[in-house]
Amino acid sequence: MSRTGLWVGLGLAALASLPAWVQDSFLLNAMIHVFLLGAAAQAWNLVGGYAGQVSFGHAAFFGIGAYTAAWLLSRHGVTPWVGLWVGAAVAAGVSLLVGYPTFSLRRHFFALATLALAEIARISFLNWEVVGAAIGLYLPLEYRNRLAYLMWDSKPPYYWTALTVFVLATAVVWVVDRHRAGRYLRAVDQDEDAAEMLGIPTRRYKLYAMGLSASLTAVSGGVYALYVLYIDPYNVMASRISLLVVVIALIGGRGTVWGPVLGAFFIVLLNEYTRAWLGGRGAGTDFILFGLLVVLLSLYQPRGLVGLLARPLRQPQVAVAGAGGDEEEPPRTLPTEEVVLRVRGVQKSFGGVRAVRGVDLEVRRGEILGLVGPNGAGKSTLFDCLTGFARPDGGEASLGGARVLGLPPHRVAWAGLGRTFQGIRVFPDLSVWDNVLCGAEHSREGLWESTLGEAPEPLRRRAEALLRSFGLWEHRHRPAGQLSYGQQKLLSLAMAVLRQPQVVLLDEPAAGVNPVLVEEIGRQIRALNAAGLTFVVIEHNMEFVMRTCHRVAFMAEGRVVTVGRPEEVQRDPRVLELYYGR
Amino acid sequence: MELVWQAAVSGVVLGLVYALVALGLSLVWGVMDVVNLAHAEYLMLAMYATYWLWALGKLDPTLAAPVVVPVFFGLGWLTYQLLVRRIVRAPLAAQIFATFGLLFILRYGAFAAFGPNVYGVWRPGEGTVAVLGVPVATSKVVAAAVSLAAFGLLAGFLRYTKTGKALQAAAQNRDVALALGIPVDRMYALSWGVGVASVALAGAFLIPFYQVSPTIGDAFLLLAFASVVLGGFGRVDGALVGGLCIGLLENLLGTLISPTFKFLFVFAAFVAMLLVRPQGLLGDGGR
Repeated sequence: MSRTGLWVGLGLAALASLPAWVQDSFLLNAMIHVFLLGAAAQAWNLVGGYAGQVSFGHAAFFGIGAYTAAWLLSRHGVTPWVGLWVGAAVAAGVSLLVGYPTFSLRRHFFALATLALAEIARISFLNWEVVGAAIGLYLPLEYRNRLAYLMWDSKPPYYWTALTVFVLATAVVWVVDRHRAGRYLRAVDQDEDAAEMLGIPTRRYKLYAMGLSASLTAVSGGVYALYVLYIDPYNVMASRISLLVVVIALIGGRGTVWGPVLGAFFIVLLNEYTRAWLGGRGAGTDFILFGLLVVLLSLYQPRGLVGLLARPLRQPQVAVAGAGGDEEEPPRTLPTEEVVLRVRGVQKSFGGVRAVRGVDLEVRRGEILGLVGPNGAGKSTLFDCLTGFARPDGGEASLGGARVLGLPPHRVAWAGLGRTFQGIRVFPDLSVWDNVLCGAEHSREGLWESTLGEAPEPLRRRAEALLRSFGLWEHRHRPAGQLSYGQQKLLSLAMAVLRQPQVVLLDEPAAGVNPVLVEEIGRQIRALNAAGLTFVVIEHNMEFVMRTCHRVAFMAEGRVVTVGRPEEVQRDPRVLELYYGR
Repeated sequence: MELVWQAAVSGVVLGLVYALVALGLSLVWGVMDVVNLAHAEYLMLAMYATYWLWALGKLDPTLAAPVVVPVFFGLGWLTYQLLVRRIVRAPLAAQIFATFGLLFILRYGAFAAFGPNVYGVWRPGEGTVAVLGVPVATSKVVAAAVSLAAFGLLAGFLRYTKTGKALQAAAQNRDVALALGIPVDRMYALSWGVGVASVALAGAFLIPFYQVSPTIGDAFLLLAFASVVLGGFGRVDGALVGGLCIGLLENLLGTLISPTFKFLFVFAAFVAMLLVRPQGLLGDGGR
């Protein structure tokens, strides 16, 4: 940290003092563009990099910021100190209006909607008399050389203003990156459903990133207007700005703090100087290079130039006494009679197929309930209905007395239901440690808190204990995608139980792993149960079920046929007939 | 009323042309679930190709099509082999960025090669044809007819040929198709070839009445997206229905309200459709 801090301080000092020893006005102009477009790219990075929602319309926000500041100043004499923030607020409002509905669709659609938004904004401003239509707006020159109006007749003050905006945008991204919000946004990018099921309100985080991104872009656009003194839809809303912003962040390295910084210097300086050297005719040649770089990086290095330059960082090892992995299995606890999860008459049809036909089920606090049955019995569909991934046609379900059926997944998670999925659903590019911490309790976690603070100490201690007992502690800094299949299954179990939900639904925890690990997973589930957690486990491995579960519910053809102790269910003639066709 | 009828007829003609531009985008999107952001750049390149064949080789655009279309089929096939096959299974963001980079290369490649000037084919003495009582420029009517023919041919190909059925199978379930021995990779390459060839066909018949410059891709990309989304993405007939809607919308509202805002209406309808019915007019599954 201190070394990075030193380098950042030195770099900043060098940049800030540049106008003192360089009077080359072309270079200063180029640098102002580096800072302003870099700030917009950094803002784009929040939503396009961290949250993974690709916007091709950031010129609209840039333009809104420019127009608001310019219009307030030229028509009403309002100082840009106010105008810039009004512009930021307007841009944030527009961005939420676009983001709110489109964020529930696949990401293609968000990208397309932003493309259309930028075009709509450009056509509207081109024909809107209030803001000067195609003629645009001139900024009144009489306000120049007063700090209160942020306008000057020499370049250095603009240089410092633009640098400030750039530093501000980078600082915002740095803060987000360093704290919980950055982790959650990356999780949303990598697997939205899994993030929801851990209780992360994904749409709220996406909107947050979008609003923050739009307002920072607008501030940068506003300062640009003050610098060029004349704006029209062609210079502040051009698709060229949207594209440059994306290219800067992509080539520099999206989803990283320093990527857009690096990208801004590289792209904008190259762009400005090739324009100067080659003139109008060669204006496009550097863009061919950018395109080539974007294609190559998207194939080989998604983290851009930063990814190419970065060496694998060794993080300090945190030494804390842990639970230890190979202790004796604790004695089995006996479940209570208290019903914690009550399911009544849940139904779900897909077209004409009645996958779940009225399921009744009671889960008692402290038990491990096995859910078995042939393929197509409706077990996973039942899980989907309970956790909000499928909309049930009827029925009710309550957890600890509170209704959960029909809630969106993150609300179900907040109510105290955890879940793992079939196969593995970890966030492959996040470290093991970050993966586990995504499983924190999110129901009382505000956006402000998650942006500015790290996970609380007790939670971190619990996460460490879990990783230690799962044998994953040594791997905590590795990306989860590098773990073995079985380790990833253990990790997803750790993520689901970290916040200690009232009931945890496990969908085939032992499928696809080797017998030794099956035994290990079973042991971990029993240990967690002994510590007080309640589980419902879908599993085909009958040996595993017999050893692990207190009770077993047998499902076939969308109904629960029988519930009882494992031996009883195994001997039930109906089960034998339905399962084995005897 | 007369004016509205004229606007409607020329809207249908224009809509058919948009539909042909959108056809390839829809096909590739439907078959591989890859959105090709560079789609309209192939249109631009095909218009340049047709223009230069006319300007240097004195070849009429109608006769240029049989040359341009096969070449662009090859170009699409090559694009798949060199770039797209590497991203078929990549994360969505990587797919978006790869075709976005391609857009840059093609667009600014055209800038470097042809400069920013606008070029058009000029054919003196071109007449008009009366369509339902409304005179429409011959070249536009020809383009509309070519579009209808292309849709008919593609529909027939998909429905009645073995390769067409294999293509549909690959589109519906890649793994099952692979297990059945369908060369999915070749089907994908084919869909890129056909997709780019069809947009080149549109380019060849567009150049007689629409001038080309390196940046025309912007407008056409959005129009093609709007057509595909409006009609229902992943269906070939969706592009046809969507294209017609866009053409009608643009011409009718442009005539009735104000021509300066005609694209505003189109894009607003597109965004509204995304919000209200993202699966499109014909589609059935949205997400």
